[in-house]
Amino acid sequence: MDASIYNTRRRRNVIATAASYGATGIGLAGLAMILGVLFWEGFSGLSLSVFTEMTPPPGSAGGLLNAIVGSILMTVIAIVIGTPIGMLAGTYMAEYGRHEKISSVVRFINDILLSAPSIVVGLFIYEVMVVPMGHFSGIAGAVALSVIVIPVVVRTTEDMLMLVPNTLREAAASIGLPRSLMIRHIAYRAARSGIITGILLAVARISGETAPLLFTALNNQFYSHNLNAPMSSLPVVIFQFALSPYEDWQKLAWTGALIITISVLALSIIARALTGTRKAS
Amino acid sequence: MSIATAIPTAVAGHPPVDPSSLRDKVAIRNLEFYYGQSKALKGITLPLYENKVTAFIGPSGCGKSTLLRVLNRMYDLYPNQHAEGQVQFDGMNLVDPGVDLNLLRARIGMVFQKPTPFPMSIYENIAFGIRLYEKLSKRDLDQRVEQSLRRAALWDEVKDKLNANGLSLSGGQQQRLCIARTVAVRPEVILFDEPCSALDPISTAKIEELIDELKEDYTIVIVTHNMQQAARVSDYTAFMYLGELIEFGPTDKIFTSPTDRRTQDYITGRFG
Repeated sequence: MDASIYNTRRRRNVIATAASYGATGIGLAGLAMILGVLFWEGFSGLSLSVFTEMTPPPGSAGGLLNAIVGSILMTVIAIVIGTPIGMLAGTYMAEYGRHEKISSVVRFINDILLSAPSIVVGLFIYEVMVVPMGHFSGIAGAVALSVIVIPVVVRTTEDMLMLVPNTLREAAASIGLPRSLMIRHIAYRAARSGIITGILLAVARISGETAPLLFTALNNQFYSHNLNAPMSSLPVVIFQFALSPYEDWQKLAWTGALIITISVLALSIIARALTGTRKAS
Repeated sequence: MSIATAIPTAVAGHPPVDPSSLRDKVAIRNLEFYYGQSKALKGITLPLYENKVTAFIGPSGCGKSTLLRVLNRMYDLYPNQHAEGQVQFDGMNLVDPGVDLNLLRARIGMVFQKPTPFPMSIYENIAFGIRLYEKLSKRDLDQRVEQSLRRAALWDEVKDKLNANGLSLSGGQQQRLCIARTVAVRPEVILFDEPCSALDPISTAKIEELIDELKEDYTIVIVTHNMQQAARVSDYTAFMYLGELIEFGPTDKIFTSPTDRRTQDYITGRFG
């Protein structure tokens, strides 16, 4: 046995391990710093009036109610539009069209859509909805967000269904189960937690999107749940307020960022708890 | 059809004991099977007798699993696979394109190599298949679930936790759950594809015992790599090699005085 070969390998291992820890540390430090500043700045502005009052003109007191309501409305509608389309497409690709050429074409295009700059999505919806309608609107914002939701859901649905072992499909077929029932009762059930995680990922993604809303929902200084009118949203308000020279607006922008972060975090934890307990039962 | 035409010439001189008591449940004639262009089964002719256990043995890649998967058209789930020839079952040729696959599979059930419980409760694993074809009252359904689990010798182990997830059982229990699930649909034929290869010896013994009991009500086909297992559980054995049926006959004859040299070499462990 040549000890030098072993020793070289051991030294290399120490270096590689140290580099891995270092990289992890840098990543975590960045995250900790972002969260630290966010919590520090955000919490100091957090008060009940944030949830009860409208966005103020500079220099006066106010809150983010219109932006919070607008964000929730548009996010919910976007998910309601995007999830069924995404799941159906993903299901087709994984179950019916697995060996078809069209599936690989759709997969390729979907991957492009997945990484398309969101401002392009905003411009696209501006052209197809805002221009014909003649004005900015909440529904145009929701549709723009749904365009971002679809590829995320398509991808995760397909991936999760692909992970369902073929033996389970064969077992379902072996008792005379038609394919549609197999998908609904066996495959979806086996892939459930993954698909739900994918939908939540989409929620997390769109709740921070600003660019697609700038050209579609625009913004609204007042409370409005009229989908046919411009609608306020947290990311756009943060964008506008953070860039402003007014300190009270900047403060509200921090608070808004904190609200988005905490909501997404809470959603993820709830989802994890839900899918986790189901699995254990 | 007569039995004589169904038995390959290799054993035609030694008809099984008392052939009058045997009835073909399934009769395979000149079956060819293709994966794309390559031929995996070549002119298979073979009877599967009613209420008997038939074992398919042979080295890996000989086509025994392929043959089994023709019997319930499992290959239809995948593209570019097709069969030619005849597989007579209840007056129909089951490789015909027009055959209703779901009905066929409800009549010819299958148990797989790895246990494959559905991701649902033990009770639902069984009830799910029953509900597909029968509308039963809650009481009748409960009864059928119990009956099926008893049939698979699993009832005593799970009767207090029917609502637990099927995946929480041990491997051997899961496999018996899968047998119960298959039995619950009330098929006529049950196909076993190496049902014990993922199980420990005690679970294996239980499953073998079960197969022996099940043949009273069902026609059974089992693919196995384990020759002792074939000798223990089967009444008839088919030895396959390179996509061909080399020899078919009563199990004790195949294992004690095979006609073909290749069969002899295989069962004595000289190859395979």
